[in-house]
Amino acid sequence: MNGGLVGRPVSRVDGRAKVTGAARYPADDPVPGALHGFLVTSAVARGEVVGIDTSEALAHPGVVAVYTHLDLPRLTVPPFPYCKGFIPLQGTAVHHAGQPVAIVLAATVEQAQEAANLVRVDYRAEPPTASIDDATEPPHMPRPFRDRPNEITRGDAAEALVAAEVRLEVRYSSPTRHHNPIEPHATTAQWDGDRLTVHETAQGVNLTRSVLAVAFGLPPERIRVLAPFLGGGFGAKGPVWSHTILTVAAARLAGRPVRLVLSRAQMFTLTGHRAEFRQHLRIGATRQGKLTALVETTTAQLTRTEESIFNESDSTSTLYDCPNVHIRQEGVPLDIATSSYMRSPETTAHFGLETALDELSWELGVDPVELRRRNHTAVNQETGAMIRGKHLLDCYRIASEAFGWSRRAPRPGATKDGDEYVGWGMATEAHTFAAAPANPPVTASVTVGADGRAVLRIATQDIGTGTYTVISQVAADALGMPLDAVTAVIGDSALPFASVSAGSATIASVTGPVDKAARSARDAVVALAVADQRSPLAGVPADEVVTGHGHLFHVRDRARRDSYRAVLGRHGGPVEATGSLPNAPGHSYGAVFLEVRVHARLGSVRVTRVATAHDMGRVMNRRTARGQVLGGVTWGIGHALMEHTVYDRHTARVVNPNLSTYLVPVCADTPAVESHFVDRPDPGSTALGARGFGETPITGVPAAIGNAVYHATGRRVRDLPITRDKLL
Amino acid sequence: MRAFGYIPVREPAEAVRAVRRAPGAAFIAGGTDLLNLMRDGAQRHEHLVDINRLDLASITDSTRGLRIGGLARMRQVAEHRSVRENFPVLAEALEASASPQVRNMATIGGNLLQRTRCGYFRDAASPCNKRTPGSGCPALEGWNRGHAVLGGSEHCIAVHPSDLAVALLALDAVVHLLGPDGPRHVPMDGFHLRPGQAPHVDTVLRPAELITAVEVPRRTTAVRSRYLKLRDRATFEFAVVSVAAVLELRGDRVRDVRLAFGGIATTPWRSPEAEAVLRGAPLTVDAIERAGRALVREAVPRRHNGFKVALVQRALVELLSGLGGLR
Repeated sequence: MNGGLVGRPVSRVDGRAKVTGAARYPADDPVPGALHGFLVTSAVARGEVVGIDTSEALAHPGVVAVYTHLDLPRLTVPPFPYCKGFIPLQGTAVHHAGQPVAIVLAATVEQAQEAANLVRVDYRAEPPTASIDDATEPPHMPRPFRDRPNEITRGDAAEALVAAEVRLEVRYSSPTRHHNPIEPHATTAQWDGDRLTVHETAQGVNLTRSVLAVAFGLPPERIRVLAPFLGGGFGAKGPVWSHTILTVAAARLAGRPVRLVLSRAQMFTLTGHRAEFRQHLRIGATRQGKLTALVETTTAQLTRTEESIFNESDSTSTLYDCPNVHIRQEGVPLDIATSSYMRSPETTAHFGLETALDELSWELGVDPVELRRRNHTAVNQETGAMIRGKHLLDCYRIASEAFGWSRRAPRPGATKDGDEYVGWGMATEAHTFAAAPANPPVTASVTVGADGRAVLRIATQDIGTGTYTVISQVAADALGMPLDAVTAVIGDSALPFASVSAGSATIASVTGPVDKAARSARDAVVALAVADQRSPLAGVPADEVVTGHGHLFHVRDRARRDSYRAVLGRHGGPVEATGSLPNAPGHSYGAVFLEVRVHARLGSVRVTRVATAHDMGRVMNRRTARGQVLGGVTWGIGHALMEHTVYDRHTARVVNPNLSTYLVPVCADTPAVESHFVDRPDPGSTALGARGFGETPITGVPAAIGNAVYHATGRRVRDLPITRDKLL
Repeated sequence: MRAFGYIPVREPAEAVRAVRRAPGAAFIAGGTDLLNLMRDGAQRHEHLVDINRLDLASITDSTRGLRIGGLARMRQVAEHRSVRENFPVLAEALEASASPQVRNMATIGGNLLQRTRCGYFRDAASPCNKRTPGSGCPALEGWNRGHAVLGGSEHCIAVHPSDLAVALLALDAVVHLLGPDGPRHVPMDGFHLRPGQAPHVDTVLRPAELITAVEVPRRTTAVRSRYLKLRDRATFEFAVVSVAAVLELRGDRVRDVRLAFGGIATTPWRSPEAEAVLRGAPLTVDAIERAGRALVREAVPRRHNGFKVALVQRALVELLSGLGGLR
């Protein structure tokens, strides 16, 4: 009856709070009596701490304590989502440069930082290995990570490759990249007896709670984790990292609350990153471009303490129709910090696949869009089941028309405008979104108060994507209230359970329970009204009552109406309802078409035009969805043209651990983006027809840029980023 | 970051005295580089002498030339009418620098004294001869894509990052100083020092010396001048290669040309060899290419920065052929 808030481009309900500073992030509010922590980190990458002299640091003004491995209690190394394989300060071994070796606590953050400089650490150092190229041992295939196999076999790929009419063998590579959310990681830990409260920059308050429970041997109920706002996560704040555990341990030892904020440089070694990656791809196809074999071997950075592979090959195994597939995900152990998930784990392997298809299209003389159409699949390649609600072909059509793809020059290097070559490229986008675990179930609670307003509670997070807004829209629609009558309370593990905001799982996993809880609350209020002789709706069958604009109406006689406020006022207390609903993982799709201009003499690459179309089921909020597209395209430009973390090959230290030398795109690098959505509800969705989406619109961008650069210049760059030195 | 003493001053002589007296003192103006250096542990100072209140921020234009106060902000200079009309290379170099926020704060004197962006220099846990003399230079065998191909030594190949200095070098500017022994002036050509045996010394500045002004001699030819900056993203990034050119043509011949380069050398780099090739010759792409070859004759490329040798020659062709109306 509201006219439907869901789907509309509603402005962020927390937008004003964010731009005025009213939104309080986990490290914003002072905690009475809190000490400030700062980590002393290892200068060497491999070896052992043989001595630590803390006397000078302890003598520094304001310093309360300096803890080393000699002071910390023994802790339990948690499983994923702790993905470091070891906890620092538990022994003398050094596994990477930048590993914590001591933690300083002081009255002010400046005192703690300076005292950290005064801690003298002696090492026994061994020569480290920092890159895949320098690895002394051959790559190996580690054991499966999270039950996901590192080897996927379908059909007989080797035989199909030999028999193929056309074969393509190519190698692609991409460097280490760091998430770099603008908000640094921060932990504030406060013990009250054996109860622990942690204000944490977390993408998952419950995930953080479960990791801390394992590390400290505590029942999870004694731990509360709060993250009401997040200044960007991108996967960097999905896992729990060692500084969080060390801060909690230090607070317990000191008997005082402790706040610790990572420096930007520390974020390059104390959190995760997208692993350096090599991809050897062999493709077999018919002369018409139908794929007959895909053989892929990937090599990722591993570490000597953790062998999980996060650069997933989903696209190679599932995106196109191909009966014969053989994928091996391998890695080499190095002396660097562990990698982890980063926005769209498919992106690295997807770059190779979508570039290889472009190479194949030129070899066969088949338009790259047509080549993808010929390999489109309507069935799940792994299970053989029909994929319901997949509209990827519509994405190709919508985006290519919007872009004007039909006017593309038929040859590379054929279009020049002034000093620049102009090139067009495209790629498919695809992302596997995660489901929340079934147990405990994701649960929302909705309370309608005597003021006629609703409070929605759920332990999910808004990592900047718009969760507050979308779940408020959903609840308001279900209740029949205006948007501003609903207040969402999230980011607190004490709230009804929800899972991590990672793997594009939030909308898909929380909107179903929110909708269900809000409908139950509405039904409960309707039941109160029709049973109340003082209500104009007294005696009306409940299924003949509709709600809208904060009111309850008789469906045929709109003059018979009551309001939430009146009903609850007469009732004398709030009405609360909860709702749970499971969801399943799935895929979202899209297509990106873009134009680049490459300076003929200087090799400068500019992305000048982008058109996208995406299929993620129902679009819950066109504005926040478009925000994800803009962010994804910008990330893709960064990945394609500039982002890379550099390790010194002799010391394995990060050479560019700051935003001055780790380049991300600025506004001048990012053109206007024309974004379209298919916007058809997914019949299999338990989230009002929506699917997980946020990570989809980066996946194809690096390949689309590389493909456009090839179209512009005839130069194929297979090693990212595409910097001008590779085009001269 | 270590606590430091803060000493505000009002007169240039007072500023010089304050830095001379206080051990480990440094001047602070915009602070856009100094504070980062102190936070990163690349530089330590017991005291900062705040010179922002000194009357050294004015820009005066006369028949002799342009006199830019050492405390003039980058934005203020870039927007100055005479700078834009008579010395476009200067305005372009400034506007290609940093970000608007930084240009609002950063001063002309501070810009000339900014330290290298070499990652090893900025990482206090890495060896670096510029930061800790005698500790070694990891860039020689390490990551050196951004490093110098000209003017380096076996002790240091770090690039001087200033765009402004490159433009001022092409304009034959002079730096005015005030020190404990009184005022003196030094030509831009020679103000910055190659690393040689002492990479920790960036400039000819003596202890407690203050940049009071930069003087740009008036030359009508500077009207035909331009700055080309190539970098790894569109804005807010230091040069991979940059070229400042001041060109005077008589007919199709080069009457005079002054060329300075950034991103390729340990100091803002003037190339008399390249200029000599062009001076008096007809301006052709072929002549510019010969000048480019003269520029890089002594280049010493390393593992990752060899592309700069080719790129700077292309940049020179791009800039001069545009400036000379060859296309």
